[in-house]
Amino acid sequence: MTKLDFVEKYGQENEPYVCASCGNCTLVCPVYSELKWESYGPRGKLHVVKSIIEGESEFGKDFAHKIFLCNLCEHCTSVCTTGISLDRFWEVARAEVRERDLLPAPARFVLKSVKERGDIMWMGSADRLLWMEGVEELVKGRILKKAKVAYFLGCNVSLKSQLHDVAQSMVKIMDYASVDFTLLGEKEVCCGAPLSWAGNLKDINEMAEKNLAMIRELGIETIVFSCPSCIQTWSEYSKFLKEDKSIELLTASQFINRLIREKRLHFEEQPMITTTFHDPCISARVLKATEEPREIMDEIPGVYHVEMDPSRQNTRCCGSHGLLDVVDPVLSSKIAERRLRDVTVTPATRIVTECPR
Amino acid sequence: MIYSKDVTSLPDLAHQIVSPRFDVITQPVDVLSLQNLVMYAIENGIPIVPRGNGTSGWGGAIPTRGGLCISLSGMSEILYFNEFESAVTVETGITWRDLLAFLGRLGFTLPVYPSSATAATVGGFVASGGLGIGSTRNGNILKQVLGIEAILPNGKIVRLGKLLLDPKNDVLKERVDEGNSWLSEELSDAGLGSPEQETKLFTGTYGTLGIITKVTLKTIPNLQLIPFTCSFDSIADLARAADRILSDVKPYFIRFLADNYTSKLRAVNEYESGKYILTGALLDTIYQNEDNIEIIKTVTDEEKGQILDDKRAWFYWSERLYPLRIKRHGPSIVPAEMLAPMRMLPEILEKTKAELRNSNVAIEGTLSNDGTTSFMVWILDDERKKVSFTIGWYRSFQIASLAERFGGLPYAVGLWNGRHARKFYGSDVYNNLKVMKKKLDLNDIMNPVKVFGGRVTIGRESMLLGFLLGFIVTMIGGWVLPGLLNLGWLNQFLSSSLFQFIYFPILGLAGLVGGLVVVLITRFMRLNQALAIGIPVLRILSKLLRR
Ligand SMILES: Cc1cc2nc3c(=O)[nH]c(=O)nc-3n(C[C@H](O)[C@H](O)[C@H](O)COP(=O)(O)OP(=O)(O)OC[C@H]3O[C@@H](n4cnc5c(N)ncnc54)[C@H](O)[C@@H]3O)c2cc1C
Ligand code: SF4
Ligand code: SF4
Repeated sequence: MTKLDFVEKYGQENEPYVCASCGNCTLVCPVYSELKWESYGPRGKLHVVKSIIEGESEFGKDFAHKIFLCNLCEHCTSVCTTGISLDRFWEVARAEVRERDLLPAPARFVLKSVKERGDIMWMGSADRLLWMEGVEELVKGRILKKAKVAYFLGCNVSLKSQLHDVAQSMVKIMDYASVDFTLLGEKEVCCGAPLSWAGNLKDINEMAEKNLAMIRELGIETIVFSCPSCIQTWSEYSKFLKEDKSIELLTASQFINRLIREKRLHFEEQPMITTTFHDPCISARVLKATEEPREIMDEIPGVYHVEMDPSRQNTRCCGSHGLLDVVDPVLSSKIAERRLRDVTVTPATRIVTECPR
Repeated sequence: MIYSKDVTSLPDLAHQIVSPRFDVITQPVDVLSLQNLVMYAIENGIPIVPRGNGTSGWGGAIPTRGGLCISLSGMSEILYFNEFESAVTVETGITWRDLLAFLGRLGFTLPVYPSSATAATVGGFVASGGLGIGSTRNGNILKQVLGIEAILPNGKIVRLGKLLLDPKNDVLKERVDEGNSWLSEELSDAGLGSPEQETKLFTGTYGTLGIITKVTLKTIPNLQLIPFTCSFDSIADLARAADRILSDVKPYFIRFLADNYTSKLRAVNEYESGKYILTGALLDTIYQNEDNIEIIKTVTDEEKGQILDDKRAWFYWSERLYPLRIKRHGPSIVPAEMLAPMRMLPEILEKTKAELRNSNVAIEGTLSNDGTTSFMVWILDDERKKVSFTIGWYRSFQIASLAERFGGLPYAVGLWNGRHARKFYGSDVYNNLKVMKKKLDLNDIMNPVKVFGGRVTIGRESMLLGFLLGFIVTMIGGWVLPGLLNLGWLNQFLSSSLFQFIYFPILGLAGLVGGLVVVLITRFMRLNQALAIGIPVLRILSKLLRR
C-alpha cells in the first residue's frame, strides 16, 4: 500500500474505488480523443492511482507527466456516473506530483511567476495597465474607486495584447450602460487558479484574498469577470466568499445580459452575420451559464446564430485550459484544431466566445 | 493493466486462476491490420482477446492467459446507411452514443441499444447479446443484427447474414469470397446452414469464435418519445401493472427499480426513495402515444400505483444510462444477474433478498418482449477489506444458481458463467458452437477459456498451497492410515526400531510426491473445476466467518 498524502488530506481516497469503470469520462475526454490510449484518459488514470494505492504501481515521472496532460475541462466530471469530482481529483493529484518534486518545468515556472510577479506570464503589475490604451477617458478615475460593480480582468485579458480589445469593449459597454464600476488596475493580481493547476492548493486562498481585501474595502456587490475560471477558483477556494454570500460573481455575458434585460443596452441594425458560440468549459459545466450569451446574440439585430455540435454542457474544450498549452503545446493545438473542425461544418462566419484562452 | 479489467472488481484470488494482465495491447485501425495481427498471433501461438470498451462485467474482455488485447475502439467508422432498407452498417469499435447521434440527426434511432450506450461499443454488445433500451418492444440485440463481417481465429475474413456495404468501396471483396467459400464447406461439414444463415455463431458468443469487424443493424424511425414513470409500494403491484402495460401498450422500454435500489439514489431522496419504480418510454406516433399514456395512467391507478409527473419521468429516462450510480454506496460492486420469467418477479426478489440478507444490494432490471426480465443484482461491497471481499465473491455465483431454481438463466456467460453455457445457449446450439470452435480455432487462441472453459493459469500462491496441501495430506495419511485400516504387519513394522530409521524419510518422500501430484492436478485444472471447488469453499468460509 502506498500512502498518497494529498489524496487523503483532501478526502479523495475513496474515489478510485468508487469509479465504476464505465468509461463515460474517457469517451468525452479531449486528451483521450487525441492520444487514444486508456492511460491518458480519466478512467485509466484513476485506475493507475488505485494501483499506486494498492502498491502495484509507482508514482513515477511518466505518470506525473500524464497527470498534467489534462485540460481540467470538467467534461469528465460532468458525465461521471458515480459523481466523482474528477477535476478536483486531478488537482489533488497534481499536488501529489508537486510533493514528489515531479512537476513539469512549465508548471514550475507558473508557480514561480505567480508568486514573484503576481501573474502567470512573468510580467508585472505595471503591465496590467497596458490594455487601457485607447480607452483612457473611460477608465480615468475608476481605478480603486468605490463602486457597486467591479470589473476583474484576470491575467489573460490584462496581459495578452491580442485580448486587450476584450477589456476595452467591456469598459465601453459598461460606460454606455452608465454602470458605476471600478477596476483594480495595477493592484489586480492573479486570481490563484493557476496555483491549483500547478499543484499548489495551499496558497490559493491567500491569492484570492489579495484581490478580495480591496474589493471588500471598495464596497463592491457585484464582480464581473472576463474569465470563468477566476469565478470557479474563488467560489471553490476563497474562505471569505464561502462564508459571505453577499458578493455576486458574474461572467461578462451574464452581466451584459442583465443590462439588456434592464433596457440599459440597445443595439442598432447591422449587416447580417452568422455566428456560432463556443461555450467555455467552465462557464458551461461549472457555472451553468450557457443561455445568457445566446440571449445576448438573439437581441442583436442582424446576428444569425447557429449551434455547434457539441455545445452547451457538452462543449468541447479548446485545448488551452489547465496549463496544457504550456505543458504540451502540440497536444493542446491538436485539441484546438478538433474544436475548429466543429466550427467549419457550420455556416458561421464568426466564432463568439468568452473563453480568454 | 487498465485494459486487463472490466467493470467488476475482482478479488486477488481470482488472479490465481486467470492471468492478471495482457502482455501487449494493440489497437488496429482497419481490417487488414487486424488480420495481420491475428496471423501473427496464430504463428506464435499467442492468445488474443477482442475488447470494445471494457464495460461488461462477466470477464469476457479480460485476459485469462495473458497475450494480446485487441482494442477495437480505433475502428469506428459509419460505413453505410440507407433509410429505405432501414439499416446501418458500422465498424464495431463505434460507441452506441455516436451511432445514435448520427442516426438522430437523420430522424432515426435504434430498436435496441445498451444502457451503457455512452461508452460501450457496437461490437461489445453484439458479441455479448443482451437486453437494452428498446428490448421491451424489440427483444434481444441479437435480433437487430442483419449481418456481420468477422475475422476467424484462423485469420480468414468472412461475412455472414446480410452485410450491407457500398460495393464501390469494398476493398475486401476477394478475401471475403475466399473466406466465405472456406466457411461454407466447414459449416456444411458440421451440418449447419450457409454463412447467410449462421450469423449467430459469432454474435452472443463473446468473441470466442472470431472478431466482429462490421455489423449491419436495423434502424427505426425516431417517432415521438414519451417517457413515463410510476411508483408502487409493493413489487407485486408493480409486476401486475407491468404485465398489463406490456400487453396493452407495447412500450419501447420498461425498466423496474426495486426499493433497495431507489433508496440508494441520491437524486430521488426527496421523492421516491424506497419505493418500487416502473419506468420506461413510448416511441410511437403522437396519436398512439396519447392513447397509450391514458392506458398506463389507468392501469397504474388500478394497481395501486402513482403516476409521476413529466419532470420525474424525464429524470428517470435520462437515468436509464446510469445504472451504476449506486456504486458510491460500495464503493465496490459485484454484479450478479439473471434472466427470469417476468411473472416470478415478486418471488425472485423476495428470495434474492433473503439469500443476500447480510449483504448490501440494489436490484433493478429490464423487461423483454418475450415475458422474461433481466434481474440485475448489484452487490455492494468494499474491495479494500480483502478477506471479506474475497470470501463474499461466491455470492455472484449464488445468484446464477438461484436463477436456475426459478426456471431462469444467468444473464450472460462470458468467463465466469461458462459452467452454465450449455443451458444458456440450449444443448443443440451449444454443441454446434463447440464443434465450430474446434474447427475454427485449432490452437485455442481466440478469447480462450471464455464460454467453453479451459485450462486455467494457476498462480504461484495457489501452487504453493496445493503443494503444501498434498504434502500434509499424504503425511497424515501415511501416519494414520495403517492404524485405521488395521494393517497388522505394517503396525508391527511401525513399532519396530527399524521404523525409526527409514519410515520418516519415506513418509517425507511420499509427502513430496503427494505435493507434486496436487501441483500437477492444478496445472491441468479447468476453470469450471476450479470454480466448482472454490465457490463452495468460499461459501463455507463465509458462513464460518459470520458465526
Ligand atoms: C452502465 C452500464 C450499463 C450496462 N447496460 C447494459 C445493458 O443494458 N444490457 C447489457 O446486456 N449489458 C449492459 N452492460 C454491460 C456491457 O456494457 C455490455 O455488454 C456492452 O455491450 C459491452 O460493450 P463493450 O464495448 O464495453 O465490450 P467489452 O466489455 O469490451 O466486451 C464484451 C465482450 O465482447 C467481446 N467483444 C468486444 N468487441 C468485440 C468484437 N468486435 N468482436 C468480437 N468480440 C468482441 C469481448 O471479448 C467480451 O467478451 C452495461 C454495463 C454498464 C457499465
Ligand atoms: S478534465 Fe478534461 S482533459 Fe482532464 S481528464 Fe477530464 S475530460 Fe480529460
Ligand atoms: S465516468 Fe466516473 S465512474 Fe465512469 S469510469 Fe469515469 S470516473 Fe469512473
